[in-house]
Amino acid sequence: MNIAVSDLHFTFASGVAALCGVTLRIDSGERVAIMGRNGSGKSTLVRHFNGLLRPTRGVVTIGDWATHEHSVAQLARRVGYVFQNPDEQICKRRVWDEVAFGAINLGFRGARLHKQVDWALARLGLGSYAGVNPYDLSPSWRRRVAIASVLAMDTEILVLDEPTTGQDARFLAQFGGLLDELRVLGKSVIVVSHDIDFVAEHFARVIVLDEGRILLDGAPEQIFRASEALEMAALQPPQLTRLAQALSLSHCVHTEEEFLRALQTRLAGA
Amino acid sequence: MTLYIPGDGFLYRRHPVTKLVFMLCVAFLAFLGPGRWTPLLIFLAALLPLALFSGLVRPYGGALWRILAPLAFFLFVLHGLFNPAGRTVLFSVGPVAVKLEGVVFAALMTSRLLCVLGASLLFVFTTPPSALMLGLAQHGAPPWLTYVIGATLQIIPHMRARAAAITAAQQARGLETTGSLRVRARALMPMVTPLVLSSLVDAEERAIALEARAFRSSRPKTSLTELADPPVERVARQACVVCTLLLIGAGQWL
Amino acid sequence: MIRVEGLTYTYPFAGQPALRDVSLTVAAGEFVAIVGANDSGKSTLCYALTGYIPHHFHGAMLGSVQIAGMDSRSTPLAELVTVAGLVFQNPVNQISGARFTVYEEVAFGLENLGAPRAEMAARIDEALALVGLEGVADRSPYALSGGQQQRLALASILTMAPQVLVLDEPTAQLDPLGSRDLFAAIHRLSRRGATIIMAEHKLEWIARFADRVIALAGGQVVLDGAPREVLASPLLEQHAIGRTRFTQVAARARALGLTSSDALLPVTLEEAVDFFRPILPKAINA
Repeated sequence: MNIAVSDLHFTFASGVAALCGVTLRIDSGERVAIMGRNGSGKSTLVRHFNGLLRPTRGVVTIGDWATHEHSVAQLARRVGYVFQNPDEQICKRRVWDEVAFGAINLGFRGARLHKQVDWALARLGLGSYAGVNPYDLSPSWRRRVAIASVLAMDTEILVLDEPTTGQDARFLAQFGGLLDELRVLGKSVIVVSHDIDFVAEHFARVIVLDEGRILLDGAPEQIFRASEALEMAALQPPQLTRLAQALSLSHCVHTEEEFLRALQTRLAGA
Repeated sequence: MTLYIPGDGFLYRRHPVTKLVFMLCVAFLAFLGPGRWTPLLIFLAALLPLALFSGLVRPYGGALWRILAPLAFFLFVLHGLFNPAGRTVLFSVGPVAVKLEGVVFAALMTSRLLCVLGASLLFVFTTPPSALMLGLAQHGAPPWLTYVIGATLQIIPHMRARAAAITAAQQARGLETTGSLRVRARALMPMVTPLVLSSLVDAEERAIALEARAFRSSRPKTSLTELADPPVERVARQACVVCTLLLIGAGQWL
Repeated sequence: MIRVEGLTYTYPFAGQPALRDVSLTVAAGEFVAIVGANDSGKSTLCYALTGYIPHHFHGAMLGSVQIAGMDSRSTPLAELVTVAGLVFQNPVNQISGARFTVYEEVAFGLENLGAPRAEMAARIDEALALVGLEGVADRSPYALSGGQQQRLALASILTMAPQVLVLDEPTAQLDPLGSRDLFAAIHRLSRRGATIIMAEHKLEWIARFADRVIALAGGQVVLDGAPREVLASPLLEQHAIGRTRFTQVAARARALGLTSSDALLPVTLEEAVDFFRPILPKAINA
């Protein structure tokens, strides 16, 4: 299921123009990171994917559905959206019920429901907490519950708004593993993030927005080389890219593997 | 989120508590004062001129109209048609008849509301909340009270934004929130529960923040801004109260 | 300035202690960073260093905490907050709600302390200048960005002139720009000799500016020393505490035999450059 955005313009009721002509396409199974400073339009853009916002001009289509023709609840069948603040959605007394909430709304029952929920719980490390009250968990674990509850909805497209903010290394490692599994399952994943190191390691396509327009859209190699553009978007290149540049190794480094390869190449060439 | 309109003038320079006392006195007089013309008289002789001299006629008139017009309409229709004291028929529209006594009652109610609303708006338009809180604190209101008043005003837009965020999050999980009564009833708990719980979490954190700002310190508090409360204000407040009591008394016994 | 001895603390209704036998000291003027996985006890420690434990959270506390010479158990919280200021993660919840402009918001703490009106303007202006918010003094606190609100929280505490500043993951909810501005303000404070204790995940920054790093895991102190010693330690991975990419790639390079250097693993960019440069062939003119 593809996402097609065609000349999208969006202006808030207050008159602020948040998106000024965005056109892009995300194919089925793609994994995309969306970056940009606060106010660049990144959250505004992804909120069009599940109908939370309707275009002022232009069209957004999810598969064969134009978003302005469907309600948010209907689009929830195709696009799962994970919000930043779990406390703004937790409404059940047990983690299991909370994770099942979305799936039940979509009509999952019986064996299928249990399978989805148990799978989502396991993926987020919540297996042993199924019977616990979500508010007995710490805030970082409540965020896992929020992600699990959208995961259980088994949508083809997943949008996550700043999933790594304030999370520790253990979560980042597990989340990276989850992204890989989602790729195997053929799901499209769109992550809004300002953690450039995480993005560098896990995403093959990065879109950088600035002032409501797409500034950069491509593979990490191209993105992280464009230092002026990155500066405009208030982004610093990833740690390893900067290290490679400082050592005059190569401009195409943004992961550990690439760095080591570049290092070995240089050492071999001596 | 405040209705305060910056400006200058007689009313702006009065102490907030004086204005508060005035407003309450007017409210009492509107309902307990002598005669049927008192509310209208107060409005025309006192409230409207004050609004004029404060340069607030437009927002004042606009707000009064927006709030009262629909109310007045319903009052006149309901009482004109159905007030039990109605006897003298003014005119009929088909099977229903509009009666004089009902219309008179509606007119009285409307003028009372006009008076009370008029006084409240004058107060709110010319008093910044921070001045009100300071004024109350000067007169012995406990810090928690002034805090609740000030914080509530600021919390309302925050709450509205949060309720919208919760709606969005639940809809994004497939919850329909509009439609039949049954659908909306099902959506109630998933909307209310996070609102309450997240507010509790926030309240806990805010309590910690307030503690960090020494809010519960037993030291006598000072204030950044000065609010003058000269004797003439005190006299004015006492005069208001006395006049109000006299007029109400006069109305009862004469 | 701060002395913690044998601190063990269990939240009410909790099955196990959040802090176990923690002992540490912080000297005046030191900048100490606390690292650890989520739920390792960082926030609990921050609350204990400012008196919220035991006064606000109750629960079972063993051991002692001395803050600027005051015992946290026997001194009332209202007094402890005058010597130890706390800034935490959520920018919006630190806005008092009782004041309508940034300027008044900063004054709020001074009013509660009973500071003389004549002193207030100077103290507020200084605090606002320190965090870089002079330009927004007349705006409503709720109209600021998250990063600005966090700097406002910092200014509001600074104006009260605490002897110790405790920050619990202050940049966790901020974007890179907001984090950068907040870190800049904290760095300015540190250079002026402030005693700062900060729990953080952003290792690259604390490696550069902290005097000392304490690593917590499971409520216990597992490492306490100079930034490079702690942040490059292999123990960090055991305790699910991350390391910077510089450290990780250097460790991999060493494991692959690309370098036989014994030097401490690098934590910052500069240290990484110094670590790798020696093994690279002499610069070929590009």
